[in-house]
Amino acid sequence: MTEIKHHAYLFDATRCIDCRACMVACSVENNIEMDKTRIWVAGLGVMGEFPNLKRGTMVYHCMHCEHPDCMSACPVGAYSKRPDGPVVYNPEKCIGCRYCMNACPFGVPHFDYDKGIVDGAFIDKCTFCPQRIDNGQEPACVHTCPTDALEYGEREELLKKAHERIAAHPDRYIQHVYGEFENGGTSYLIISHVPFEQLGLPTLPETPINQVSETTVGLTLPVALGWGAALTAVTAGVSLLRQKKSADEKKAEEAK
Amino acid sequence: MTKTLSRRDFLKLGAAAGTALAAGSLLPAPVAEAARQAGFLDSKGDGYIPSMCEMCVWRCGLIAKVKDGRVVKLDGNPEHPHSRGNLCPRGQSGLMNTYDPDRVLTPLIRVGKRGEGKFRKASWDEALDLVASKMLEIKEKYGPEAMVFSTTHCLTQPQFENLLYAYGSPNYGTQRSLCFNAMITAFQLTYGVEEPSRRYDNVEFILMVGRNLMEAISTSETGELAHALDRGAKLVYLDPRYTKTAAKASEWIPIRPGTDAAFLLAMINVIVTNQLADCEFVKQYVVGCDNIQDEMQRYTPQWAEQITGVPAETIERIAREYAGAKHCAMVHPGWRTSNFVNSFQTERAIATLNALSGTVLRPGGCLSAELLSETAGLGAPPQPPYPRISALRLDGVPWKYPLVPLKLGVFQELRDNILTGEPYQAHGWFISRQNPILALPDRNKTLQAFGKMDFIVTIDILMNDTAWFSDVILPEASYLERYDPLLPVDGKAFIRQPVIEPQGEAKSTLWIYKQLGERLGIGEYFQYEDEEDYLRQQLKPLGVSLEEVKAKGYAKLPEEEKSDEITFNTPSGKIEVYSETLKNAGFSPWPTWEEPPMPAEGQFYLLTGKVAQHTQFGTQNNQLLHKYSDEPRLWMNAKTAAQKGLKDGDWVKVTSKVGSVHIRLLATEAIRPDCVYMTPGYGHLSKGLTTAFGLGASDSVLHETYTDPISGSQALSQTFVTVEKE
Repeated sequence: MTEIKHHAYLFDATRCIDCRACMVACSVENNIEMDKTRIWVAGLGVMGEFPNLKRGTMVYHCMHCEHPDCMSACPVGAYSKRPDGPVVYNPEKCIGCRYCMNACPFGVPHFDYDKGIVDGAFIDKCTFCPQRIDNGQEPACVHTCPTDALEYGEREELLKKAHERIAAHPDRYIQHVYGEFENGGTSYLIISHVPFEQLGLPTLPETPINQVSETTVGLTLPVALGWGAALTAVTAGVSLLRQKKSADEKKAEEAK
Repeated sequence: MTKTLSRRDFLKLGAAAGTALAAGSLLPAPVAEAARQAGFLDSKGDGYIPSMCEMCVWRCGLIAKVKDGRVVKLDGNPEHPHSRGNLCPRGQSGLMNTYDPDRVLTPLIRVGKRGEGKFRKASWDEALDLVASKMLEIKEKYGPEAMVFSTTHCLTQPQFENLLYAYGSPNYGTQRSLCFNAMITAFQLTYGVEEPSRRYDNVEFILMVGRNLMEAISTSETGELAHALDRGAKLVYLDPRYTKTAAKASEWIPIRPGTDAAFLLAMINVIVTNQLADCEFVKQYVVGCDNIQDEMQRYTPQWAEQITGVPAETIERIAREYAGAKHCAMVHPGWRTSNFVNSFQTERAIATLNALSGTVLRPGGCLSAELLSETAGLGAPPQPPYPRISALRLDGVPWKYPLVPLKLGVFQELRDNILTGEPYQAHGWFISRQNPILALPDRNKTLQAFGKMDFIVTIDILMNDTAWFSDVILPEASYLERYDPLLPVDGKAFIRQPVIEPQGEAKSTLWIYKQLGERLGIGEYFQYEDEEDYLRQQLKPLGVSLEEVKAKGYAKLPEEEKSDEITFNTPSGKIEVYSETLKNAGFSPWPTWEEPPMPAEGQFYLLTGKVAQHTQFGTQNNQLLHKYSDEPRLWMNAKTAAQKGLKDGDWVKVTSKVGSVHIRLLATEAIRPDCVYMTPGYGHLSKGLTTAFGLGASDSVLHETYTDPISGSQALSQTFVTVEKE
């Protein structure tokens, strides 16, 4: 396998048979507790009325966003974005504030109430299987998929593949690659035969949510400093005026 | 109560469950040592070992990741044609089967009443001596035929058969009459092969008759179908239920249960009446081409519409599309097709349609009916002839079921005749890796049959329901802990080898059968020192060493000679759409319509099927699969449920002629209004299955016993039930 500059997944909902091999594979590969999971099935499932039915389900895990909201919300820098794609959570730094859970538009980070205090790892989410991808293997979920509904590779190439597939079968697919631009782009790309909201995906703007917040937050210091300076000046002015006034009053009284 | 596995330590559980292992792990393990020497484990004992899955009968190749002497991950072996690098959820969960905290790890001898679950641990010597003495006692008192032997399809079936036939019993129970007897007997009679293989490279049109390939996963075939659909192949799918396969189909036809044969016969009618088939070419190889038009005349699409509920024009259109795709069309032979007593005719119609399209005859066709050599060039230990067995078989083959192959049998009839004591009374039951209490229809009857037994012994890795009611349980090593005989697939003989040491005192069936054989005085049928010696004898003609096979995962087999001549293993050497054999046995020589019974007012068809997370009755205790399975509920059409005043999630009582169960309702649009559906494999009786016990309900409690007189199939959808709110 050639070196991958930007690791990504492509999920094709038309191919997924909801067998959950990916979920079991992830659980085993990453030794996940029996009552937890890092992959979920989402979507409305069977839709319509008998016998005019269709089915829409999706499996998803951390989307490994290009502009991760978890990372920008984290006050202690427990999240980082690897230049080659994966969004990495560092339990050593985590203080368990759960801002990332509120920030993630996909509801991915999960809080572990049982173990946070003891082990220090509060949050659980997909790691992108660094133990596999850094050794030239596919992530566990992708590797096992019997129908190749999940694929792995270079983001640019997967995007190209997704667009080619949509163009080859315009009747089959919704004309959109979810994650190409959503929230500034994700590393988990999705193509589907049913509208994305039926797969349980949020409608997101192309501008990353955190760009808005980061711009706002970025302005805080200058604004605060400026405002402080202005207030100081005013206070100083008032104080000077007061001093002057009181001096004048003194003079006036002395003059009496 | 479920033993909940917490934290990240579920993989350590096996050690907690098997104290013997905990002690053993301090010693250098011979398996790890051998693996180190072969070069796939490093000095720390970590590495990758190729072997073979056993979570279903597809038997994918796997690569086990071993760390500190424990298997920590299974991946599909890219070199195996059945996995091609992938594994299904069951394959992925296989290590949890091995590390199940409920594993039986020592021989057990019953001390309480049957079904009380009280056992004491015993040594192998004590347990084997007891089993052998009981079997010899039964043989002496009642004759060898009083011992029943049953097993489910597995790689040590030849050794199991040695035990059975050398002991001298004709009574052989397999799972097959509960599964695919209809398919196998129909294809055997028509093409001379048990099961034609499917090829998806060129397929343009696929008709599937209740073959739920997207949920009853055969990894490579499921993948091939998915890729064929991706390419634009058309899939027409007949099923009363909107399964996950239906969701992927180009066209889903929710046909009335039991009427598939009418649909298919009408397709044949359209094709032969309009001369759409490749007749000139086909008739050189097919018996019956000359008169088929007359014979099929009455099966018009209009006739079929009345029976199936599918519009005549739909049937006609599909027949034309199918014929139009010529040899790039396939009617899938199906798998568990034992749904109604007419299922044999459904399969015969499928076999006929595939003959007419030329798909088995033309190069690049989608079905292959080639007869492969069974040994594929592998060697075997010397095999003495069996003693002559004169007793009748209790399952009615062939005296009541003349056309059922001996190695398939009619398991439900065997059970029934244990109860009636006709033509003679059975007294002992030897069960290996099988669960007749859950698998056979009408569980009450099976429990009564158990009550007739003087002695029952079960070989399994878990305390399944059958083991729970047994007198002796012999613990089998799991598929990750043992050797099995080599399995030929597509020109290679693949190995199943231990990737970890057996836990506790678990042993392979190669070892168990040999030990029993020696104690029964039939040791000459088991001429191998140990498992490795058996494999070496298999490899001998190939000139390949076992070490090489262990490292590589397979041995290359000599190429089989292929002739260009198209012949079939039937009496005429041709495809027998018209079958003299059937005629001589007193059955219709043509595929024909037999009207199945229908539910009365207020009753529903009881359907059963598969989910991707489980295999039959054996995986429900696997905690990883349990984790990702849906709750087993009774499916009912949402509108029907509303009419009956039932809501999704209600507890309901489901009643058939032979039993009733309590289960929660799933109100869904995904099923015909006249059907209900249950996932089999739940409702376990054994309290030795701490994860599965108490989950769902058993369809076997409800199933009535009906047998197809031709193929011996149990008609599993011919039970009708009522559903009431609790």
